[in-house]
Amino acid sequence: MTENGVNRPVTAPLLSIDGLRTMVSSRRESFDVVRGLSLDIYPNEVLCLVGESGCGKSITALSIMRLLPTPPVRVREGEIRFRGEDLLSLSGKRMRNIRADSISMIFQDPLTSLDPVFTVGDVIVEVIRAHRDMSKEEARSLAGDALAKVGLPDPISQLDSYPHQLSGGMRQRVMIAMALVLDPDILIADEPTTALDVTVQAQILDQLVKEQRERHMAMLLITHDLAVVAAVADRVAVMYAGEIVEQAPVDELFEDPRHPYTQGLLRALPKVSTTRRRLDPIPGLVPSLQMMPPGCAFAPRCPHALDRCWTEQPELATDRDGRVFRCFNPQPFAG
Amino acid sequence: MKRVLARTVYMVIVLVLSSIAVFYAIRLSGGDAVAARVPASASAEEREAVREQLGLNDPFHEQYFDYMGRLFTGDLGNSLTNNADIGKLLTDHGRNSLILGVAAFVLVFGVGIPLGMLASLRRNSWWDGGIMTFSVAGMAVPNFWLALLAVWLFASVLGWLPSAGCCGPKQLVLPAVVLAMEGMALTVRMTRSAMLENLNQDFVRTLRSGGLSESKVIGRHVFRNALVPIVSLAGLRIGQIVGYALVVETIFGWPGLGQVLVNAVLRRDYPVAQFFSLVLITIVLLSNWLADVGYTVVNPRLRRT
Repeated sequence: MTENGVNRPVTAPLLSIDGLRTMVSSRRESFDVVRGLSLDIYPNEVLCLVGESGCGKSITALSIMRLLPTPPVRVREGEIRFRGEDLLSLSGKRMRNIRADSISMIFQDPLTSLDPVFTVGDVIVEVIRAHRDMSKEEARSLAGDALAKVGLPDPISQLDSYPHQLSGGMRQRVMIAMALVLDPDILIADEPTTALDVTVQAQILDQLVKEQRERHMAMLLITHDLAVVAAVADRVAVMYAGEIVEQAPVDELFEDPRHPYTQGLLRALPKVSTTRRRLDPIPGLVPSLQMMPPGCAFAPRCPHALDRCWTEQPELATDRDGRVFRCFNPQPFAG
Repeated sequence: MKRVLARTVYMVIVLVLSSIAVFYAIRLSGGDAVAARVPASASAEEREAVREQLGLNDPFHEQYFDYMGRLFTGDLGNSLTNNADIGKLLTDHGRNSLILGVAAFVLVFGVGIPLGMLASLRRNSWWDGGIMTFSVAGMAVPNFWLALLAVWLFASVLGWLPSAGCCGPKQLVLPAVVLAMEGMALTVRMTRSAMLENLNQDFVRTLRSGGLSESKVIGRHVFRNALVPIVSLAGLRIGQIVGYALVVETIFGWPGLGQVLVNAVLRRDYPVAQFFSLVLITIVLLSNWLADVGYTVVNPRLRRT
């Protein structure tokens, strides 16, 4: 558990990703988009996976759920252990039983993510009955409870609503209700607030955190928004070009980031101050995944790169202070 | 509801306009309606007398209102050529046309949709290739030629099926298939593309993340979404069946409405031609209206909240 000053999780991980490599392959080319990612999710924690667009956050999440668009994307290597089983080698049927029941997922755009020609009640009932031996009426009343729980006004009549009749925030609440109706152990939320209005974003985030606390479930929250991370995370994993570059409890990460990419991200945040100053972006661009440099993926943009960084891949390692990052030449952070 | 009402009003307007057009067109088409009623040796005076008796010398609008008035009182009139009761023609031939039309309709959707689904689910396989080739051929080959080809192959060469006649299941096969072919080909194509489009939608991923089986995700959700464009064009498909029925019934000697209409037009049998044109127009309009209503049913986004 990571609450209240206990920094290091002491229990066994609930889900553990080990050496995940996910690739895109077409007739013309193939390359890895997730490049040997290892990550543990512990019970009861909010783990934020941050990184810029295209760094492989969503692909990692979809690899866990086994919902990758195959072809062209597929897992090439690695293990994802959950309750003593490797999710990647489960039969399709076993995997279906795990989805929604043990591991749930919500997506970025709640409009396109809901079937437009079915009522939200129909779909939630269908999800329930795919996992539980229940009559339609029982499932419907359970679905109504789920909608009420996520704060949807007039939940029973909303069961008969179509997605287009709901606002963006309400749709996302429906998505949350559907994901949580069977009380899963892990919720994966892939940029759940990105497509919403700012005011609604905060409400949805609050709702997610509230559900996570009340249900004692683990949440893997994928985001590129550091403000969201600061608000809700227990632990943070920073991703860059398909691999994790740093992993730390949220306070440590914001106060004392070790990896130059994390440091760059924090420096790039706009600050409220009396003197206006220019934003401080990370120079350069993310390397193309088709042509990764032989050494550290961040070396081309790193202000402290050594010769070694260009030729050798640093490992994700734990240093003397117990900090986990992937760098040969860490520098103290001067925000 | 408002939409349904609007479509109904629209349908009535089109029906009235097309009745005028039909009435006018058949009188413009030349030929002589009287020829059918008098012996070839009849003198000009005798012909004129018949013409007067039939009201063919009256101004166009008088003939029109006179005819429509009688139509509304249920007096359908009689054939000019053989005095047959038009109401009886309608029931006798209507039944045959209904059999043929329903058979073609079942083929268009009952075969077209499953084939399109199969092609989309086995995308880029031999199934897909075969079905799509069949579909292109079905759209490209004109039905009168297909009819001749089918008669030659299945009736003359193989001798499996009769080339013409009515109205048993054996006689039904060839005309129904020929009549349905183009609509079936279009339905296959449309089903395939609608299925593929919806298979790539985000909601499919959501449903899978909910642990639904592939048969539920595809057979229920993707299919219901794919049905929206298919149903919206179902009216066109029915219109196509009605229109092609004229050709196909004539070629296969199937005694339906189309055949009656073709013969009546050839003989300038005004009352028969007018009435059966209106019947066919009404069927097409009704089916379009039904498709419109059906579209609202399958697409909840069009319904009022």
